[in-house]
Amino acid sequence: MSFISDGLERLRALLLRGRQEREMAEELRFHVDREAAERIRAGDTPESARRAALLAFGGVEQYKESVRDARGVRLLEELGADLRYALRGLRRNPGFTATAVLVLGLGLGATTAVFSVMRAVVLAHLPYPDPDQLVIVVEKNSPTNIWSISTADATAIREQQRSFEAWGVISRDEAALSGTGHPERIAVARASAGYFKAVGVPVARGRLIEPRDEGQDAPPVAIVTNALAERILGGADNALGRAITLDGVSHTVVGVLPPGRDELGGARAPVWPALKLRAPVRRGPFWLRGFGRLKQGVTLEMAATDLAAISRSILPLWSDFPDSLAKLTPISLRERLVGQARGQVGLFAGAVLLVLLLAITNVATLVLVRASAREPEVAVRVMLGAGRGRIARLLVTENIMVTLAAAAAGLLLASFGLKLAVSQLPNLPRIQNATLDWRAVTFALVAALLSGILVSLSPVAALSSRRGIGADARRAGTGRRTNAVRSALVTAEFALALPLLVRAGLLINSFVRLSRVDPGFDPEGLVAVGVALPQARYPDAPEIQRFWQQAEQRLTGIPGVMAFGLASDIPPDLSGNNDNFNLVDHPVPAGQSEPASPWYYVTSGYFGALGVSLLDGRLFTVADSGNGPPAVVVSRTWANKYFPKERPVGRQLIQGGCYACPRTTIVGVVGDIKNLGLATPDEAVYGPVTQSNSRSMNLVVRTSASTPATFRALREAVRALDTELPLQESTIVDRFDDSLTDPRRWTAVLGAFAAVGMALAALGVFGLMSYVVRQRRREIGVRLALGAQPGTVTKLIVARGMRYALLGSGIGLVMTLALTRRLGTLLFGVSPKDAPTIAVTASLLLGVALVACWLPGRRAARILPLEAISTE
Amino acid sequence: VPPESSELLQGTLEMLVLKALSLTPMHGWGIGRRIDQLSHEAFQVQQGSLYPALQRMLRKGWITSEWRVTENNRRARYYLLTRAGRRQLDAETAAWARASAAVNGILKVRTADGAP
Repeated sequence: MSFISDGLERLRALLLRGRQEREMAEELRFHVDREAAERIRAGDTPESARRAALLAFGGVEQYKESVRDARGVRLLEELGADLRYALRGLRRNPGFTATAVLVLGLGLGATTAVFSVMRAVVLAHLPYPDPDQLVIVVEKNSPTNIWSISTADATAIREQQRSFEAWGVISRDEAALSGTGHPERIAVARASAGYFKAVGVPVARGRLIEPRDEGQDAPPVAIVTNALAERILGGADNALGRAITLDGVSHTVVGVLPPGRDELGGARAPVWPALKLRAPVRRGPFWLRGFGRLKQGVTLEMAATDLAAISRSILPLWSDFPDSLAKLTPISLRERLVGQARGQVGLFAGAVLLVLLLAITNVATLVLVRASAREPEVAVRVMLGAGRGRIARLLVTENIMVTLAAAAAGLLLASFGLKLAVSQLPNLPRIQNATLDWRAVTFALVAALLSGILVSLSPVAALSSRRGIGADARRAGTGRRTNAVRSALVTAEFALALPLLVRAGLLINSFVRLSRVDPGFDPEGLVAVGVALPQARYPDAPEIQRFWQQAEQRLTGIPGVMAFGLASDIPPDLSGNNDNFNLVDHPVPAGQSEPASPWYYVTSGYFGALGVSLLDGRLFTVADSGNGPPAVVVSRTWANKYFPKERPVGRQLIQGGCYACPRTTIVGVVGDIKNLGLATPDEAVYGPVTQSNSRSMNLVVRTSASTPATFRALREAVRALDTELPLQESTIVDRFDDSLTDPRRWTAVLGAFAAVGMALAALGVFGLMSYVVRQRRREIGVRLALGAQPGTVTKLIVARGMRYALLGSGIGLVMTLALTRRLGTLLFGVSPKDAPTIAVTASLLLGVALVACWLPGRRAARILPLEAISTE
Repeated sequence: VPPESSELLQGTLEMLVLKALSLTPMHGWGIGRRIDQLSHEAFQVQQGSLYPALQRMLRKGWITSEWRVTENNRRARYYLLTRAGRRQLDAETAAWARASAAVNGILKVRTADGAP
């Protein structure tokens, strides 16, 4: 049992440390008093009795230590003492403590927040079984030209593939949902049975889409999300067997997805109807996304070889698509979902890591200043016999306490920062999942501990290399070595700050350019209403054309409307509707890929509404009817690209690979507009609405009336024709603003990082030079006394500080130029090595450094010689 | 002090403390004093080494301590023998008796041989 009492006694000793120390002192006092009393009784004088009593006892402190040793808690006690000592030291220096905690807390907080975002967006587990077996299949004929696959492709893959355990296709679309209250437009993802099988997610209720649902005569069925079932079908329990009407076709709900699940294989939609494919009559159109689950042991390369063979085998079967370079290509789902976000988040992560490094460097210089201010204290301790190991441990304890406090502050900041990121960057995939979980907390704590050790390195190194303690003890703080370390740290700060600033500068520059892009028309006063016609009531060309014609007529006479037209897509149309073509006069060589362009269907009035001018030829007329020869109008950029030396009007092209169709004639050239968003080129082809039979159009009007009044009038105009059509209202100004939201936010965040980085670097050089001035006070005083000009003294200090700033910035510049790879895709109209941006940001940094050096320099010049020399 | 002799010394000191406390609870100074008396001043207990020994014995559970008021109205820490301490004292007394009997035996034999 003795080990229990031993343990208890040790525990008691540890818990009751303070009391035990007091009791020990009291016991000792009693002993000495009693001994002295005894000796007095024997005839000694009080003073000599006391001295003799102490002597008989032996060394009092030695005694205390050996009692403490006997209590067996020495190591723990020392740690406790270190902690108490450190706390006391930190409390005595609230300025240092607050600065260090704040600076490091900022760095740790930002790093933790970005780390959490990165984990959710880039590193997260995709919510499917064996997600790394999932691939998307696309058509690809060059590294950058990738498009969907066709019915013919999908059928061939289904029949010939040997790589997939499950294979399916999906078509994403919008549909009018009616029959359950107010009509609305929703996203639908029509998917084959194989798609659900490949994704591998079961339904919560009912069943998945099955092969029998894919037949042309099979009753239309659909799967819905739990959220949609809750919203309009009275809950998941009541949804099965209910009917929902999509574009006028009634679908029976056969399954409900698990709660919270509205994304399958990277597609997000509330309704998933069964996809019914007709047998292909030509190779195109390309409208499907292929989706497969690789068999175990089949790599992406093996699947690519398999699919390439299928591409070769079907090429000769379809004369309308002669592109021998086009290959069916598998892309890993993870790559597809994460690819672009990785670039953005990577830039972020790089920037935030620079900020953290800057923060650590800054705190390291602070710690060094404190260490040199404490040199006398440390020297005295060493002389009194404190071990160097013990002192080093003390320093590290103190710094780790600071960094842990910073970690706490950082976690607090991170939780705010994360909330901000989730609300401000909603377009990053899966960012809603970003939380500050235990991994982030661990990350912050480990980062804090590492920072604590890192910032302790230089003072501890200074400690162990110290020689001749005694000589130094009084005139402390003159260690050349410490200064060398600090100078190196300050140089490093500038080397870290410059890349940060340049990146922010490039993004700001890019953003300004982007927001100054001329869209080619005045978006002010343009109002659009999107209309989609259900197939059931508008099955063919006559009904569709009649509706669009009547709709356009109804727009005349609306108060305030100055011009109006119809367009299949309106700027900035981020989805992009492309078609391929071949010029009759300049065909691509046999077997080569045909060029493709954004392709829109509009009425002539649309150009008038936008204010786009006709540069050559004509706009559409009644001659360009559904029965007439196909006609298109092209944009100026398109004309210059494909007919650089000739007049394009009157030339002909083969559209969409349909060599059997009548040739399409270019009838006019119009001015450029930014159809695809501000960052894209202006190439565009416009066909007349009369030749498209598209069931989805936008009514576009330029109005001087208020937006709500115009929406109301447009709604009434459409309702007069059909009361059941869901409408989508927007203004072009809002659409452009939305398209700038993300770049604006990325730029703002990186700008904030850069500002923090610059402030830290400036603080670093300011601190160093202030310290140098304090250190050389005497010397400067003597110089001034001997007649040196105050200006010369300032110059001396500034020159010394700027040496580090310049050297650091130079190193930073080399790093900046070496690390521009990922940045290119995030920039618009600016090269990652844009010289003016680099020059401006470097000047800004050096300018701030100059101010940071000049302040202590001026203080140096104002030193009063006499006072400086006489005080030591 | 070389470690092997300190081991012996330490054990001996603890035994003497146990013996002193077996008569009545005492404070540290009193224990030192009592050992001096009991040994007729043959052992000079280094006063500073007494307290670490008391701490060790507290940890081993042989003694406990409590604060009492002395005859002169001063607070002092008194040490008391526990049952474990009493068993330890018995064991050590027996061990000591065996050891000293053995040593005495050896010494007698050597005396019988006529050695000095």
